[in-house]
Amino acid sequence: MGLSSAAITTSSEALKFCIFDLRRGQHEGEELEKILFFFPADLPFPAQLSVIGLSEGLITFTRIFSPEAACEVIEAELHSHVFFEAEPDIWMVMVVAKSKETEAIWRIEALRSVLKEIHSLFIMFHGSIRVLLDKEPGGGLTRSHLFTFIMDYLNDFLMGNKFVLPNFRDSLKQRGTVQMLTVGREAAIEVQSLVGALDSCMGHTSGYSVILFQDLLVSTTLTPDDTTNLFSYATSRLTPRVLSSGGSSTWSYLRKGNAELASRSANIGSGLDGFRIVRPLQHGKWSKGKDGFLVTDIWGVEVGNLVPTTPTLWLQQTEHKMYLCAYQHKSLTIILLIPVTSMLNGEEGISMLKQQLLENASAKIVKVEEKLAKGWGGENAYHVKGYRYLLVDGDRNISRASPPGKVTTLTKESLLAINKVREDVDLEKSRGNGNNDEKDLEICIRAKNNAWVIARSTRGKELYIVLEKANETLLYASEAIEKFSDRYCNGAFSLD
Amino acid sequence: MSRNTSSSGGSGALSHAYIHYPPLKCKNNGSIGLFYDDGNKLLISPTSNQVVSWKTSPYTPQVASTTDTISEGPVLSIRYSLDLKLIAVQRSNNEVQFWVKETGETFSQKSKSESDTILGFFWTDCAVCDIVFVKTSGLDLYSYVPELKSLELIDSKKVNVSWYIYTHESRLVLLASGMQCKSFMGYQLSSAGIIRLPRFEMAMAKSDVNNKPVLSAEDVHIVTVYGRIYCLQVDRVAMLLHSYRFYRDAVIQQGSLPVYSSKIAVSVVDNVLLIHQVDAKVIILYDIFADSRTPVSAPLPLLIRGLPRGNISSSQSANDTSANLYSDDWNFLVPDLVCDVSTGFLWKIHLDLEAISASSSEVPLVLEFLQRRKLEAKKAKDLCLELLRSIMIERRPLPVIFRAVNVLVTSFAYSLKTGSYSKSTPVNSSSGVPENNSGNKPGETSGGGFSTSDSEDNINLKKENGENLMVSEDQQESQSQVVTSATIPPDELYTFVFASVEEEMSAFTDASYLFSILLEFIRSANLEKIKVHPNIYVLAVRLLGRNERYAELGQFVLNKIIEPSKEVALELLEGVGSHNNIQTRKLGVDMLRQLSLHHDYVVLLVQDGCYLEALRYARKHKVSTVRPSLFLEAAYASNEPQHLAAVLRFFGEFIPGFGTTSEHTTYIRALADMPSSITV
Repeated sequence: MGLSSAAITTSSEALKFCIFDLRRGQHEGEELEKILFFFPADLPFPAQLSVIGLSEGLITFTRIFSPEAACEVIEAELHSHVFFEAEPDIWMVMVVAKSKETEAIWRIEALRSVLKEIHSLFIMFHGSIRVLLDKEPGGGLTRSHLFTFIMDYLNDFLMGNKFVLPNFRDSLKQRGTVQMLTVGREAAIEVQSLVGALDSCMGHTSGYSVILFQDLLVSTTLTPDDTTNLFSYATSRLTPRVLSSGGSSTWSYLRKGNAELASRSANIGSGLDGFRIVRPLQHGKWSKGKDGFLVTDIWGVEVGNLVPTTPTLWLQQTEHKMYLCAYQHKSLTIILLIPVTSMLNGEEGISMLKQQLLENASAKIVKVEEKLAKGWGGENAYHVKGYRYLLVDGDRNISRASPPGKVTTLTKESLLAINKVREDVDLEKSRGNGNNDEKDLEICIRAKNNAWVIARSTRGKELYIVLEKANETLLYASEAIEKFSDRYCNGAFSLD
Repeated sequence: MSRNTSSSGGSGALSHAYIHYPPLKCKNNGSIGLFYDDGNKLLISPTSNQVVSWKTSPYTPQVASTTDTISEGPVLSIRYSLDLKLIAVQRSNNEVQFWVKETGETFSQKSKSESDTILGFFWTDCAVCDIVFVKTSGLDLYSYVPELKSLELIDSKKVNVSWYIYTHESRLVLLASGMQCKSFMGYQLSSAGIIRLPRFEMAMAKSDVNNKPVLSAEDVHIVTVYGRIYCLQVDRVAMLLHSYRFYRDAVIQQGSLPVYSSKIAVSVVDNVLLIHQVDAKVIILYDIFADSRTPVSAPLPLLIRGLPRGNISSSQSANDTSANLYSDDWNFLVPDLVCDVSTGFLWKIHLDLEAISASSSEVPLVLEFLQRRKLEAKKAKDLCLELLRSIMIERRPLPVIFRAVNVLVTSFAYSLKTGSYSKSTPVNSSSGVPENNSGNKPGETSGGGFSTSDSEDNINLKKENGENLMVSEDQQESQSQVVTSATIPPDELYTFVFASVEEEMSAFTDASYLFSILLEFIRSANLEKIKVHPNIYVLAVRLLGRNERYAELGQFVLNKIIEPSKEVALELLEGVGSHNNIQTRKLGVDMLRQLSLHHDYVVLLVQDGCYLEALRYARKHKVSTVRPSLFLEAAYASNEPQHLAAVLRFFGEFIPGFGTTSEHTTYIRALADMPSSITV
């Protein structure tokens, strides 16, 4: 290990991030064994071990009182330590520096959702860490996988030379949820008819399909968890917006000229272990082929004919290995997942499937795209005048929020207030988790700048609203919420 | 070519059309010929001084004859007036004699000159005249003046006529002229007025330059299908059957059908064209609804059904009949009758819908065909249901099923649009409903006859008057409901197809197969703006639940593809899915609220332990039907004294007199007994 560039070292003092396995390295002198990942990688081992040692100590200690859910967070004077037990005894810990002057005001749950996302995406592409470790007790391969994967992931947060993690400005966003396109009944029926056609293209293979319009989900036949993972992958690597911006995410223009974090390390990694490391999160590797299918050489290229190998991933619940096959028509992205086991002739079967799709479904695809495009209100479609909101349906892992461009018009005070309110709700929720009941919750505060900041939670749904130009009275604020609830949430938050 | 084997009368034999034994026997002593009066649907057999007639509509073999007396003399043709008050008999080439039935008075109408031959005559319900004489010099239109007991000439159309054909069904008279008799004039005399068709020529191939064939009357047929009027013309040289369609202002050739016999006869049964290839003794069926020239089925012979068994040697007549199929004595009467002049047997031709539907594997096409059938609407409908059901159970490929479903839905939507679909109308018991027969047919095409190309539907509509007659004739259909159309409303599609298929399909993959079909049905219904029965949505929910596709179920409910209804809400709450999935249950709860089913919603909230929310909701929506004890029990069970107190307080304030009820005292005591009640 110990591979990193000076540039990153300077940029990342504010962030430390490690993954370790409590089942490894339990004997003196073998402590390094337990480290699976550490960022920054060039931190001297004693320093790495001291971070991990502190974390491990706290976990062991808190487990005495709460064996199921041990330590979640340490709030030190200058740092916050965020814990996440990704798999039994495999912990992810993120240490972030606090600072009032800079924008470094974090919501712990937001940071934890980053850890969760890293882990679930990793599992989707590489399988669980434990299984990898069991396969190869030395851990070298697992470390290389984790390193390249996480570095590719963190790349998305790199702005200039600094990591910008989700802070209070992202309070009206919910990582790890899906954003849906709202469609009318008729369009919805057409979409489902297309889903049926896709299904029949896949024959009896019991595959799955996911359809996106722009960066919004239209339909899925996957379980909510798998949908969420695939959705976050698709919206960061596959959708037309991403592809047209040169294959990288929205911040690419900021990053131009920056060396990619993991490229060198990956090369060295593969050289070291003699294994090919697949880097699904690598930027700029997907492109749209002439036939409309998206291609990438991330998974390698077939020897001889230069045909890229079809990507594969794992489903979380069933642990089936699936081929990923993506097709794009204008704003519509269609992702098919086909069980590897059902494709006896591998790549050949995939190209037959592609043929099937072009022959039998393309008319429907065009029709659906036209219908959705006609009904779409543009990127500000879900803006509600006067409101800045976030609506989360926890049961179905769906969220909808004011468009980012509108959220930026809020003042810092409002954002800090909503950040605080969300922390309170998070806390309330984690307390309630024990007895597994969904308590109704209502918080309504007046921020320093006279904005109303409101949170409501009922039966698995949460609503956060900031009203900056609102009237003085609480009555006014609560009526505004009522109106919003009736219009946009089927009255789910109308309490009386 | 013995057809005795078919005497069992089963439909197992290969044929698509049949006649049913026994026939209507039109025999009387001293008959001097058989005449068909198509205006009144009467078969007339005059003797020297009597007129014996049989009603052929509704067709029953047992029908009794009626006899009228006329004076002696030759009978060239004979027709009753449309009100049946007069009998007109053509006595010679220039005289037609009339009887007034009521009084027995007679009068005659003669043509003016000897050379002006009367070719024939017909009664009409046209507004300006009552009877039309067709003469070699043209048409004479007369109206009958009852007071004077004579005819008054209204109008004459001067045109040379070699021969003519007329059907009352079409109200159309075609007048042939010219050397080859292939130049035609036409008039339609309907109640809407008299329409003169442009003169047109029929196509005739020549065998060689000098030999010009002459068109004869039996080679030209006027055919009415789907309310459109066609003319079919046999070209014996080219062995083709040319078709022409008549529009109000034009005659347009429509293409040709091949023929395999020098003699061709044409019948129309339930708007299906039956081309009898007389020499080959086979029938080819065409359904020319969509201008398709493809036959409905392969050529197959006509079948006699219901011949008594064991009569092959003993019963002479039966043997004769079967041997005499397509004999020279067979006369084809418009639209679907055959009369054997030698024996006096009158047969009605029926379609064997079962055989037709069984003979084609193209189910969507068969369904289209069946949906257009009106005569045996009930049978056609049942066949449609059975066909759809069976292809689903056979698990035919989805695209085929989709097309079949679309056919049925489109057809139903069309019938709704044209208003021809009405819920089955109850009919007093089926014992020979005394329908006014003569009132039926005139109404049929009286609306102008010639349709513009897009006005056919009106006719289909009118045809339904005739359906009651058909059903009352089929005595075996002793139902109290009369099906007037083969179209299938969504709820019946559910009951007889989807629900019944669901019972038989229980496998995991079957559920998704069936669900795809349901979805296509919903799609199709949505395109046609037909309301779908809630049961279908309930079934959809159940199928998704069975496959544990809960996330998708959520999408379907939220997108309202599955339309909200109480039935669906209850299925979400209590069906297969809800046992395993809380989210599904929540969808049901939300749906109840959206539907404003306040009572059910409040009860559910209480059941789920959300009694405080339920109270708030009950107050807001003024739900007073839920018993207070439900809330109190729930609050008591939660073991939270504050909550119980709150609930008690609520009812104390909102229900007058609650404080005096036994419930109140019971729970006040319970509250006092609760451990931590006042400790804080």
